[in-house]
Amino acid sequence: MNPALTGVLADGGVTTGEAVTFWILAPIALAGAIGMVLLRNAVHSALSLVLTMLSLGVFYVLQAGPFIGMVQIIVYTGAIMMLFLFVIMLVGRNTRDSLIEVLRGQRVAAILLGIGFAMLLGTGLARGIGSIPAVGLAEANVNGNVEGIAKLLFTRYIFAFEVTSALLITAAVGAMILAHVEKKPGEKMDQKVLSRARFEKGNYPGPKAGPGVFATSDSVATPALLPDGTFTERSVSKVVPARELTIAEARPKAVNGSKEYGAIK
Amino acid sequence: MDSITYADATGALSSMWLLVAIPAVSAAVLLLLGKRADKWGHWLGVAAVLAAFGLAVTYFFQLKGLDNRSAALNLFEFIHIGGLEVNVGLLFDPLTAVFVLLITGVGFLIHVYAVGYMSHDPGRRRFFAYFNLFVAAMLLLVLGDNYVMLYAGWEGVGLASYLLISFWYERPAAATAGKKAFLINRVGDVGFALAIFLMFATFGTTDYAKVFNGVLESEAGQTVSAGVLLALGLLLLLGACGKSGQFPLQTWLPDAMEGPTPVSALIHAATMVTAGVYMIARSATIFNANETAQTVVVSIGALTLLIGCIIGCAKDGIKRVLAYSTVSQIGYMFLAVGLGGGAYALGIIHLLAHGFFKAGLFLGAGSVMHGMKDQEDIRRYGGLWKHMKITWATFGLGWLAIIGMFPFSGFFTKDPIILSAFNREGWTGWLYGGAALLGAGLTAFYMTRLFVLTFHGKPRWEMEKHGDHHADGDEAHHAGIKQTADGRDIQHPHESPLIMTIPLIVLALGSVFAGYLMSTSVVDWLTPVLGDAPEEHGRLSHGTVTVLTLGVVVIGAAIAFLLFRNGTELVERPARTHIVRAARNNLYADRFNELVFELPGRLLTRALVWVDNRGVDGIVNGLAAAFGGGSGRLRRLQTGYVRTYALSILSGAVLVVAALLAVRLG
Amino acid sequence: MNDIQLPPIDYAALLPMLIVFGLACVGILAEAFVPRKHRFAVQATLTLAALIAGLVTVIINRDLEVTTIGGAVTIDGAGLFLQGIILVLGIVAFGLIAERRLERGGAFVANAAHAADSDGDKKQLNEAGATEIFPLTLFAIAGMMLFCVSGDLLTMFVALEVFSLPLYLMCGLARRRRLLSQESALKYFLLGAFASAFFLYGVALIYGYAGSVQLVAIKQSVLDSDKSGVLLAAGLALLAIGLLFKAAAVPFHVWTPDVYQGAPTPITALMAACVKAAAFGGLLRVFNVAFETTSWDWRPVITAVAMATMIVGSILAVTQTDIKRLLAYSSIANAGYLLVGVVSLGGAVGSSMFYLVAYGFSVLAAFGMVTLVRDADGEATHLSRWAGLGKGSPLFSAMFTIIMLGFAGIPLTSGFSSKFALFSSAWDANQSALVIVGVLSSVVLAFPYLKVVVLLWLNPPGDETPTVSVPGYLTRAVVGVGVLATIVLGVAPSWLLDMVNSAGTFLAK
Repeated sequence: MNPALTGVLADGGVTTGEAVTFWILAPIALAGAIGMVLLRNAVHSALSLVLTMLSLGVFYVLQAGPFIGMVQIIVYTGAIMMLFLFVIMLVGRNTRDSLIEVLRGQRVAAILLGIGFAMLLGTGLARGIGSIPAVGLAEANVNGNVEGIAKLLFTRYIFAFEVTSALLITAAVGAMILAHVEKKPGEKMDQKVLSRARFEKGNYPGPKAGPGVFATSDSVATPALLPDGTFTERSVSKVVPARELTIAEARPKAVNGSKEYGAIK
Repeated sequence: MDSITYADATGALSSMWLLVAIPAVSAAVLLLLGKRADKWGHWLGVAAVLAAFGLAVTYFFQLKGLDNRSAALNLFEFIHIGGLEVNVGLLFDPLTAVFVLLITGVGFLIHVYAVGYMSHDPGRRRFFAYFNLFVAAMLLLVLGDNYVMLYAGWEGVGLASYLLISFWYERPAAATAGKKAFLINRVGDVGFALAIFLMFATFGTTDYAKVFNGVLESEAGQTVSAGVLLALGLLLLLGACGKSGQFPLQTWLPDAMEGPTPVSALIHAATMVTAGVYMIARSATIFNANETAQTVVVSIGALTLLIGCIIGCAKDGIKRVLAYSTVSQIGYMFLAVGLGGGAYALGIIHLLAHGFFKAGLFLGAGSVMHGMKDQEDIRRYGGLWKHMKITWATFGLGWLAIIGMFPFSGFFTKDPIILSAFNREGWTGWLYGGAALLGAGLTAFYMTRLFVLTFHGKPRWEMEKHGDHHADGDEAHHAGIKQTADGRDIQHPHESPLIMTIPLIVLALGSVFAGYLMSTSVVDWLTPVLGDAPEEHGRLSHGTVTVLTLGVVVIGAAIAFLLFRNGTELVERPARTHIVRAARNNLYADRFNELVFELPGRLLTRALVWVDNRGVDGIVNGLAAAFGGGSGRLRRLQTGYVRTYALSILSGAVLVVAALLAVRLG
Repeated sequence: MNDIQLPPIDYAALLPMLIVFGLACVGILAEAFVPRKHRFAVQATLTLAALIAGLVTVIINRDLEVTTIGGAVTIDGAGLFLQGIILVLGIVAFGLIAERRLERGGAFVANAAHAADSDGDKKQLNEAGATEIFPLTLFAIAGMMLFCVSGDLLTMFVALEVFSLPLYLMCGLARRRRLLSQESALKYFLLGAFASAFFLYGVALIYGYAGSVQLVAIKQSVLDSDKSGVLLAAGLALLAIGLLFKAAAVPFHVWTPDVYQGAPTPITALMAACVKAAAFGGLLRVFNVAFETTSWDWRPVITAVAMATMIVGSILAVTQTDIKRLLAYSSIANAGYLLVGVVSLGGAVGSSMFYLVAYGFSVLAAFGMVTLVRDADGEATHLSRWAGLGKGSPLFSAMFTIIMLGFAGIPLTSGFSSKFALFSSAWDANQSALVIVGVLSSVVLAFPYLKVVVLLWLNPPGDETPTVSVPGYLTRAVVGVGVLATIVLGVAPSWLLDMVNSAGTFLAK
């Protein structure tokens, strides 16, 4: 690949185009990163991250690393981040999570330390990089960037590359373990089995009576009264704990026209 | 001195590992079998120690026939790293031999005694397991041929002592005493551990022979700086002070009396607490090489012996008094080994004699307590001689031995120490000699007080029983006693069973004869280890010192007898008004007592007790509290919130990066 | 185009790792195809076979010294010994992982996907545990093996992730107290990712300085280069943070107590023994090979970290009331002692490895015994519940006492000989300050251990004292081996010391 195309000088210097692009995208990347942390809405947060990732992808391309730049855009932003978004959409975005920090001083300390750390490394890098010339880019990209990477990946780092498969297998197995509920034989219900069960003898196929229908009290914990006068437990949600009603609660409520509260005429 | 070599063990001596193995196996069996061994476990424990004693005697006679008077047995290589090499090896030489005989011999008697003493205790099997463990560790301590082995035994006896002090763990005092003993001992152990590391750094080994030869060579060639030798000596001394209850680490020892009495007798009187003396005697070469360290040893010995005596005068618990007397007697031994030269052997024979009479005294005290339903307060005894004649007689012999009365064993062992102290060069001789002499007088005073109050005078335990009839003007006194009394139902003090009195008799015989028998033979016996005792021509002759000492002892004993023959001091008042002529003397004695003992004594005692309780305890408790508190405060950082953890990691990262960059950027 | 040529690969040297990796993959397949009722037997056999085969091949390779795959993997004496340690400790830990007699179905949950305390969770309480644990364990161990022999930082990073990820996962799979377990897994994962980021950033900076991530090349460029060392220093600092996190050094230790407490005890044991060995194997290699020549740069910092680790670990252990947390803090303090070995460089490599073996066996036995003290709710780890166990279970208590005494460094136990070996080689390397802090902190650390001993023997049993379960043969073997090793390495450690010393140091070419 022609180095000139990527806007990088052979001696590692910076062309104007590169500088301009950098100074436009760098604040955007930074803003995206900060936004990801600060925004309350998970979707917004994910989208800010996408912004940062995209900017980084462009940087890589600018730095004469088109392969990694493209991978960054295709895999990270295109695949992973979109997957993220899907998950957020599926789980449901919820902005009501409390973001109030309960630990005293935690946030201040985190911000100060973060800034301190960034400044420390920034100073270090600024001082360090100046003295070290960037060399070897031309040789690395002599047959093109992709091939250069391929060469390293399939020679010196072949073992690491292969071992990464262990990482992927672990990740897949982990996802299975954490997300997949194994059904035992017989536990699996298809449509046929379900509808058979529904119309089986002893099962009431109709919709459940709502709580409070014919009820003698207005508590959701009070089971509904069926037309034949019996209670139906099915009308009470499993989530609601069954509880004994007090006499006052169980007593029929006053209705229009009755003088005495709770009296049955 | 010529360079030190040890001959290889041959014949029976090559099986000397059995000495350690037999009690250790017995302890393991007792612990592992659990309740199944409850019925016969104590006999196994006794048999193991008896077997060890038999072996010790065999080895002793074999050693006697050897030219080199030493037998080293290298068992296996323990650690070999780079230039460092530690072997597991045993050494049987005259010094070891006397200790082994003392440990197994006295140990056997105390084991037998304990069978009776602990007969009603549900934990008897466990007790014997720990006891055997102690014997094994103590034998390892004296048998090791290098400092690491010594340290191993040192930790082992510490562990056993800790377990035994808190044996009655349901008593809070016992549990606290156990912890205190443990903590203070750790202070000493740190010193010892650092000394071992220093030895490695300096000599590259901890084998006795190599270290001592290294010291000797360095004396000749100045290869090792005097500062290192001094540090080595002082660190070893710190270890010794911790184990032997010497100033300023003495406070755990009296508290350790919360354990069963046989434990006090064996561990905290006869054997373990003398491990410090053993270590210093064993390290004679190191201490000989620098006078400053020796002076420190002597000073600590002298100071401790006085402290022990003075506090001993003020205590009322029978075991407490004996405990302080132990502190004080070990002070004598330190004094002796610190004097160096021929006095090393004197320290050792005093140690051996002390092993007999102090064990006897403790067992006697145990026998008294056994008969008095565990009453400890000597103010609540009196007139017991009628009820427990054997205990009275044996205790009396022990008493005469410890105060150094002619011809009992203390006389033969303590006198030479006082003599050597006086004969130390320079003005310090007068100082240390004077301290030792004063200590002898004080010892006579408080031991006589103990003896008289316990066995003679009116029975004060009976007084309580009929307290109302005897209430003639001493209401307050009686009321005071009644409040503290929980022993009012003591009605029938009785002699202990044979299994307890026989060891008492044997030990009493030892108290009588051991001193005379050992005073010359043991000195010769120990010559190969500790060097010749040069004939000294000091400022005071032997005769002068003997007369002085006996005089002081008789005075001390007499004062105590006069003061306490009728019981505690308050009962004396009538005596003062009745006999006019004697009244002056009594008055004089009272004043003397007041001026010389009571006032300064009480002040000093109070001060010391205060320091004891507040100072040292304070430091110990403070340290524990500081660790606990610091720990609690640090623990608050562990909130459980992952963001706090991340913050902590980040702050660590900032620190690490900043530290590494600081040099480069600066 | 045609100049891509595979560098020569010494398959024999890689064989131990290949076996473990390969059989882990087979295990994954077995999970898919073997019928449910045979799965446990097949997986357990497969795992044990993999570990033993790995160990055998490591032993066969013992004299190998080779750098292969263009420098990505360096097989040398120390590396092989570390691999051996990891495999041996892994075999012992396997005993705990495969134990199914203490609790129906083992220590692991059957279906982690059921939310804790949900209906499904209650139903699966007595079901057999997930067998995926076994291949995951194998992956973790293989990752650790690679971590110790990595020749460059990139391979090292991949290995780090390979052994970390299964651990994160397994931490969350406890059968009992599942919320605690899941919380610990999440914490470990988040903080682990945080630390990995530091590691990776460090690698990047070092690459910027040296132009290579190979350990040997880094060393060479330090020697040759006249560049400003700022990049190197920053990179080294970040790299060290990533490694110190895994080693649980203060202040990167915060995860340890929570994770040790929450994780299923067999996994805690695996982490305390094997991961410690791997993490220090990596630390020793990095500092001995790549940064030995810049030791004046990093030594003060790592010394400070080591001191802080020893002090904080031992002091915090004093007030712990949960046995697993106590052991966690003790493992932190022990990390401090091992850092002494790292700071002391070359001469202390042997004794550090010895320490890893001694500590590994003891800690496996300790956690093995923790699994035995149970009540109706599973393990009873609160120390107050251990009071007076000595009365009812003297054998158990005696063994636990031996382990505690070993940790406390009482002579004639492996704790003493290993500390002794380590400290004396540190003393030889003129690290006297560290040795003094080490000795002092071990004195403090003895206190909590002996507190447990006192609790076992000298306290009256409470009403709630749990029972000591009768161990199955696997746990019995683990505890027996651990206690035996604690005693043998304490009484006669010289053979192993000879072995670690003759194993030699890291290959730096």
